[in-house]
Amino acid sequence: MACIVRALAVAAIAITPAFAADDPAQRKDLTAVIALHGLPCGEVASYEAKDDREFVATCKDGNRYHVFVDKNGRVMVEKAR
Amino acid sequence: MGAPAPPSSPSAPVQRTEAPAAALPAIASNDAKAPVASPGSAAPVPDAAKPPAAPRPEAAAKPETAKAATLAAASPKPATPPRTEAKQATQAKPESKPAARAVAESKSAPVAESKPAPAPESKPVAEAKAAPQAKAAAPLDLKSLEQRLKDTSAIGLMTKLSLKNQVDDLIARFRDYHRGASKVALAELRHPYELLLMKVLSLLQDGDPALAQAINASRDAIWEVLADRDKFLQLA
Repeated sequence: MACIVRALAVAAIAITPAFAADDPAQRKDLTAVIALHGLPCGEVASYEAKDDREFVATCKDGNRYHVFVDKNGRVMVEKAR
Repeated sequence: MGAPAPPSSPSAPVQRTEAPAAALPAIASNDAKAPVASPGSAAPVPDAAKPPAAPRPEAAAKPETAKAATLAAASPKPATPPRTEAKQATQAKPESKPAARAVAESKSAPVAESKPAPAPESKPVAEAKAAPQAKAAAPLDLKSLEQRLKDTSAIGLMTKLSLKNQVDDLIARFRDYHRGASKVALAELRHPYELLLMKVLSLLQDGDPALAQAINASRDAIWEVLADRDKFLQLA
Protein backbone atom coordinates (compact mmCIF):
# COMPACT_ATOMS: atom_id res chain seq x y z
CA MET A 1 0.00 0.00 0.00
CA ALA A 2 2.77 2.36 0.91
CA CYS A 3 4.48 1.61 -2.35
CA ILE A 4 1.36 2.49 -4.27
CA VAL A 5 0.93 5.78 -2.43
CA ARG A 6 4.56 6.63 -3.01
CA ALA A 7 4.25 5.77 -6.67
CA LEU A 8 1.16 7.91 -7.01
CA ALA A 9 2.85 10.79 -5.29
CA VAL A 10 5.85 10.57 -7.60
CA ALA A 11 3.58 10.35 -10.61
CA ALA A 12 1.61 13.36 -9.49
CA ILE A 13 4.75 15.40 -9.18
CA ALA A 14 6.06 14.26 -12.54
CA ILE A 15 2.81 14.93 -14.35
CA THR A 16 2.28 18.38 -12.92
CA PRO A 17 2.10 20.42 -16.15
CA ALA A 18 2.97 23.80 -14.83
CA PHE A 19 4.34 25.33 -11.70
CA ALA A 20 4.25 28.81 -10.38
CA ALA A 21 7.61 30.45 -10.08
CA ASP A 22 8.85 33.78 -8.95
CA ASP A 23 12.15 34.54 -10.54
CA PRO A 24 12.37 38.34 -10.94
CA ALA A 25 14.68 37.98 -13.94
CA GLN A 26 12.18 35.71 -15.66
CA ARG A 27 9.34 38.10 -14.90
CA LYS A 28 11.38 40.91 -16.37
CA ASP A 29 12.15 38.78 -19.40
CA LEU A 30 8.49 37.99 -19.96
CA THR A 31 7.55 41.62 -19.45
CA ALA A 32 10.05 42.60 -22.15
CA VAL A 33 8.82 39.92 -24.54
CA ILE A 34 5.20 40.97 -24.17
CA ALA A 35 6.18 44.60 -24.64
CA LEU A 36 8.22 43.73 -27.74
CA HIS A 37 5.10 42.22 -29.21
CA GLY A 38 3.26 45.44 -28.53
CA LEU A 39 0.74 43.91 -26.18
CA PRO A 40 -0.64 45.63 -23.11
CA CYS A 41 0.68 44.34 -19.83
CA GLY A 42 2.61 46.89 -17.89
CA GLU A 43 4.51 44.41 -15.81
CA VAL A 44 4.32 40.68 -15.28
CA ALA A 45 3.14 40.03 -11.74
CA SER A 46 3.50 36.27 -11.80
CA TYR A 47 3.98 33.44 -14.21
CA GLU A 48 3.70 29.71 -14.60
CA ALA A 49 6.43 27.80 -16.32
CA LYS A 50 5.10 24.96 -18.42
CA ASP A 51 8.41 24.23 -20.00
CA ASP A 52 11.82 25.78 -20.41
CA ARG A 53 10.40 27.94 -23.14
CA GLU A 54 6.72 28.04 -22.40
CA PHE A 55 5.06 30.29 -19.86
CA VAL A 56 1.74 31.70 -18.87
CA ALA A 57 2.31 35.20 -17.63
CA THR A 58 -0.15 37.18 -15.55
CA CYS A 59 0.19 40.92 -15.81
CA LYS A 60 -0.53 43.48 -13.15
CA ASP A 61 -3.32 44.86 -15.31
CA GLY A 62 -4.99 41.45 -15.30
CA ASN A 63 -4.02 40.35 -18.79
CA ARG A 64 -2.71 36.80 -19.17
CA TYR A 65 -0.49 35.66 -21.99
CA HIS A 66 0.78 32.38 -23.25
CA VAL A 67 4.42 32.95 -24.15
CA PHE A 68 6.25 30.19 -25.96
CA VAL A 69 8.75 29.35 -28.66
CA ASP A 70 7.21 27.61 -31.65
CA LYS A 71 8.73 24.95 -33.90
CA ASN A 72 10.35 27.57 -36.10
CA GLY A 73 12.10 29.18 -33.18
CA ARG A 74 9.81 32.17 -33.10
CA VAL A 75 8.69 33.60 -29.80
CA MET A 76 4.91 33.72 -29.78
CA VAL A 77 2.71 35.65 -27.40
CA GLU A 78 -0.95 34.75 -27.38
CA LYS A 79 -3.71 36.00 -25.21
CA ALA A 80 -4.53 33.33 -22.64
CA ARG A 81 -8.03 32.63 -21.47
CA MET B 1 30.95 88.53 -17.83
CA GLY B 2 34.42 88.64 -19.30
CA ALA B 3 36.05 87.91 -15.97
CA PRO B 4 36.31 84.07 -16.15
CA ALA B 5 38.62 83.71 -19.06
CA PRO B 6 37.57 80.73 -21.17
CA PRO B 7 40.36 78.22 -21.05
CA SER B 8 40.23 77.37 -24.70
CA SER B 9 40.02 80.69 -26.47
CA PRO B 10 41.16 80.36 -30.06
CA SER B 11 42.40 83.85 -30.16
CA ALA B 12 44.40 83.25 -27.07
CA PRO B 13 47.54 82.00 -28.79
CA VAL B 14 47.65 85.21 -30.67
CA GLN B 15 47.31 87.16 -27.53
CA ARG B 16 50.01 85.14 -25.87
CA THR B 17 52.57 85.84 -28.52
CA GLU B 18 51.71 89.46 -28.23
CA ALA B 19 52.12 89.58 -24.54
CA PRO B 20 53.95 92.88 -24.58
CA ALA B 21 51.43 94.31 -26.98
CA ALA B 22 48.51 93.18 -24.92
CA ALA B 23 49.26 96.01 -22.65
CA LEU B 24 49.32 98.37 -25.57
CA PRO B 25 45.57 98.62 -26.06
CA ALA B 26 45.24 99.10 -22.36
CA ILE B 27 47.40 102.10 -22.65
CA ALA B 28 45.78 103.01 -25.88
CA SER B 29 42.38 102.96 -24.32
CA ASN B 30 43.37 106.23 -22.86
CA ASP B 31 44.85 107.35 -26.10
CA ALA B 32 42.26 106.04 -28.50
CA LYS B 33 44.29 106.22 -31.72
CA ALA B 34 47.23 104.06 -30.72
CA PRO B 35 45.90 100.51 -31.36
CA VAL B 36 44.49 101.48 -34.70
CA ALA B 37 47.80 102.69 -35.90
CA SER B 38 49.83 99.78 -34.53
CA PRO B 39 49.10 97.02 -37.08
CA GLY B 40 49.71 99.24 -40.03
CA SER B 41 52.75 100.94 -38.65
CA ALA B 42 54.28 97.79 -37.26
CA ALA B 43 56.14 96.82 -40.41
CA PRO B 44 58.40 99.84 -40.80
CA VAL B 45 59.47 99.79 -37.18
CA PRO B 46 62.16 97.11 -36.93
CA ASP B 47 63.05 97.08 -33.27
CA ALA B 48 61.22 95.62 -30.29
CA ALA B 49 59.53 98.85 -29.53
CA LYS B 50 56.50 97.65 -31.47
CA PRO B 51 56.29 93.86 -31.37
CA PRO B 52 52.56 93.40 -31.95
CA ALA B 53 52.44 92.63 -35.67
CA ALA B 54 55.65 90.66 -36.00
CA PRO B 55 54.98 87.34 -34.20
CA ARG B 56 51.61 86.67 -35.74
CA PRO B 57 51.63 85.30 -39.28
CA GLU B 58 47.95 86.02 -39.82
CA ALA B 59 48.34 89.58 -38.75
CA ALA B 60 51.31 90.02 -41.02
CA ALA B 61 49.32 88.76 -43.95
CA LYS B 62 46.17 90.72 -43.26
CA PRO B 63 46.07 93.66 -40.94
CA GLU B 64 42.29 93.43 -40.71
CA THR B 65 42.62 89.96 -39.23
CA ALA B 66 44.46 91.42 -36.31
CA LYS B 67 41.54 93.67 -35.63
CA ALA B 68 39.12 90.83 -35.92
CA ALA B 69 41.23 88.75 -33.60
CA THR B 70 41.21 91.56 -31.11
CA LEU B 71 37.47 91.76 -31.48
CA ALA B 72 37.15 88.04 -30.98
CA ALA B 73 39.30 88.27 -27.92
CA ALA B 74 37.12 91.03 -26.61
CA SER B 75 33.89 89.20 -27.25
CA PRO B 76 32.56 86.91 -24.51
CA LYS B 77 31.90 84.06 -26.95
CA PRO B 78 33.18 80.58 -26.15
CA ALA B 79 36.52 79.55 -27.43
CA THR B 80 36.27 77.07 -30.25
CA PRO B 81 34.47 78.65 -33.18
CA PRO B 82 35.46 82.32 -33.04
CA ARG B 83 38.73 82.14 -34.97
CA THR B 84 37.03 81.17 -38.20
CA GLU B 85 34.13 83.46 -37.47
CA ALA B 86 36.45 86.31 -36.93
CA LYS B 87 38.25 85.60 -40.19
CA GLN B 88 35.03 85.28 -42.13
CA ALA B 89 33.61 88.38 -40.64
CA THR B 90 36.74 90.27 -41.50
CA GLN B 91 36.85 89.04 -45.04
CA ALA B 92 33.17 89.35 -45.72
CA LYS B 93 32.57 92.73 -44.17
CA PRO B 94 35.35 95.17 -44.62
CA GLU B 95 33.00 98.04 -43.99
CA SER B 96 32.52 96.88 -40.43
CA LYS B 97 36.09 97.72 -39.54
CA PRO B 98 35.40 100.97 -37.78
CA ALA B 99 32.79 99.39 -35.57
CA ALA B 100 35.02 96.46 -34.79
CA ARG B 101 37.85 98.81 -34.08
CA ALA B 102 35.69 100.81 -31.73
CA VAL B 103 34.63 97.71 -29.88
CA ALA B 104 38.18 96.47 -29.72
CA GLU B 105 39.38 99.76 -28.40
CA SER B 106 36.69 100.04 -25.82
CA LYS B 107 37.00 96.48 -24.53
CA SER B 108 40.47 95.32 -25.33
CA ALA B 109 42.20 96.49 -22.21
CA PRO B 110 40.59 94.31 -19.54
CA VAL B 111 40.00 91.33 -21.79
CA ALA B 112 43.49 91.31 -23.19
CA GLU B 113 44.80 91.04 -19.69
CA SER B 114 42.59 88.12 -18.81
CA LYS B 115 42.97 86.16 -22.05
CA PRO B 116 46.65 85.40 -22.54
CA ALA B 117 47.10 82.77 -19.85
CA PRO B 118 44.96 79.89 -21.23
CA ALA B 119 46.39 80.24 -24.72
CA PRO B 120 48.27 76.95 -25.15
CA GLU B 121 45.30 74.86 -24.04
CA SER B 122 43.04 75.83 -26.89
CA LYS B 123 44.44 73.47 -29.48
CA PRO B 124 44.61 70.35 -27.28
CA VAL B 125 41.04 70.96 -26.17
CA ALA B 126 39.90 71.10 -29.76
CA GLU B 127 41.76 67.89 -30.48
CA ALA B 128 40.29 66.25 -27.43
CA LYS B 129 36.82 67.14 -28.65
CA ALA B 130 37.55 65.74 -32.08
CA ALA B 131 38.88 62.47 -30.71
CA PRO B 132 35.56 61.00 -29.47
CA GLN B 133 33.97 61.86 -32.78
CA ALA B 134 36.66 59.92 -34.54
CA LYS B 135 36.08 57.03 -32.18
CA ALA B 136 32.35 57.18 -32.84
CA ALA B 137 33.09 56.84 -36.52
CA ALA B 138 35.33 53.87 -35.91
CA PRO B 139 34.95 50.92 -38.27
CA LEU B 140 31.86 48.87 -37.65
CA ASP B 141 32.41 45.49 -36.07
CA LEU B 142 29.11 43.70 -36.51
CA LYS B 143 30.46 40.36 -35.34
CA SER B 144 31.63 41.86 -32.09
CA LEU B 145 28.33 43.62 -31.50
CA GLU B 146 26.43 40.46 -32.26
CA GLN B 147 28.54 38.46 -29.85
CA ARG B 148 28.18 41.06 -27.14
CA LEU B 149 24.42 41.01 -27.62
CA LYS B 150 24.40 37.24 -27.27
CA ASP B 151 26.55 37.36 -24.17
CA THR B 152 24.94 40.22 -22.33
CA SER B 153 22.99 39.41 -19.21
CA ALA B 154 20.95 42.56 -19.51
CA ILE B 155 18.42 40.80 -21.75
CA GLY B 156 16.66 37.57 -20.93
CA LEU B 157 16.68 34.52 -23.16
CA MET B 158 13.13 34.88 -24.42
CA THR B 159 13.68 38.55 -25.11
CA LYS B 160 16.83 37.77 -27.07
CA LEU B 161 14.95 35.22 -29.12
CA SER B 162 12.16 37.67 -29.72
CA LEU B 163 14.61 40.36 -30.78
CA LYS B 164 16.33 37.94 -33.09
CA ASN B 165 12.99 37.17 -34.72
CA GLN B 166 12.39 40.84 -35.31
CA VAL B 167 15.90 41.40 -36.65
CA ASP B 168 15.46 38.47 -39.03
CA ASP B 169 12.13 39.87 -40.19
CA LEU B 170 13.68 43.24 -40.90
CA ILE B 171 16.62 41.71 -42.73
CA ALA B 172 14.16 39.74 -44.84
CA ARG B 173 12.50 43.01 -45.81
CA PHE B 174 15.86 44.47 -46.81
CA ARG B 175 16.61 41.33 -48.79
CA ASP B 176 13.35 41.73 -50.66
CA TYR B 177 14.14 45.35 -51.30
CA HIS B 178 17.56 44.58 -52.75
CA ARG B 179 16.16 41.79 -54.89
CA GLY B 180 13.55 44.11 -56.22
CA ALA B 181 10.88 41.80 -54.89
CA SER B 182 9.42 44.51 -52.73
CA LYS B 183 7.82 47.77 -53.75
CA VAL B 184 8.85 49.32 -50.48
CA ALA B 185 11.22 52.26 -50.79
CA LEU B 186 14.43 52.31 -48.84
CA ALA B 187 13.26 55.32 -46.89
CA GLU B 188 10.28 53.33 -45.65
CA LEU B 189 12.61 50.78 -44.10
CA ARG B 190 14.37 53.40 -42.07
CA HIS B 191 11.50 53.76 -39.64
CA PRO B 192 11.25 50.07 -38.67
CA TYR B 193 15.02 49.96 -38.46
CA GLU B 194 15.12 52.88 -36.05
CA LEU B 195 12.22 51.42 -34.09
CA LEU B 196 13.98 48.11 -33.65
CA LEU B 197 17.17 49.84 -32.59
CA MET B 198 15.19 51.81 -30.06
CA LYS B 199 13.82 48.59 -28.64
CA VAL B 200 17.28 47.12 -28.36
CA LEU B 201 18.68 50.26 -26.79
CA SER B 202 15.85 50.57 -24.31
CA LEU B 203 16.42 46.99 -23.25
CA LEU B 204 20.15 47.50 -22.86
CA GLN B 205 20.51 50.98 -21.51
CA ASP B 206 20.10 50.05 -17.87
CA GLY B 207 21.71 46.63 -17.77
CA ASP B 208 24.53 47.09 -20.27
CA PRO B 209 25.00 50.78 -21.01
CA ALA B 210 28.36 50.23 -22.69
CA LEU B 211 26.84 47.93 -25.26
CA ALA B 212 23.91 50.28 -25.72
CA GLN B 213 26.35 53.08 -26.40
CA ALA B 214 28.34 50.97 -28.84
CA ILE B 215 25.21 50.05 -30.76
CA ASN B 216 23.98 53.60 -30.76
CA ALA B 217 27.34 54.78 -32.09
CA SER B 218 27.09 52.22 -34.88
CA ARG B 219 23.55 53.17 -35.81
CA ASP B 220 24.42 54.95 -39.05
CA ALA B 221 27.12 52.46 -39.97
CA ILE B 222 24.68 49.56 -39.63
CA TRP B 223 22.15 51.42 -41.73
CA GLU B 224 24.77 51.94 -44.43
CA VAL B 225 25.42 48.22 -44.53
CA LEU B 226 21.71 47.47 -44.80
CA ALA B 227 21.01 50.13 -47.37
CA ASP B 228 23.95 49.41 -49.64
CA ARG B 229 23.28 46.40 -51.87
CA ASP B 230 26.87 45.22 -52.11
CA LYS B 231 27.55 45.58 -48.42
CA PHE B 232 24.27 43.86 -47.62
CA LEU B 233 25.08 40.91 -49.85
CA GLN B 234 28.48 40.59 -48.23
CA LEU B 235 26.76 40.54 -44.88
CA ALA B 236 24.37 37.84 -45.99
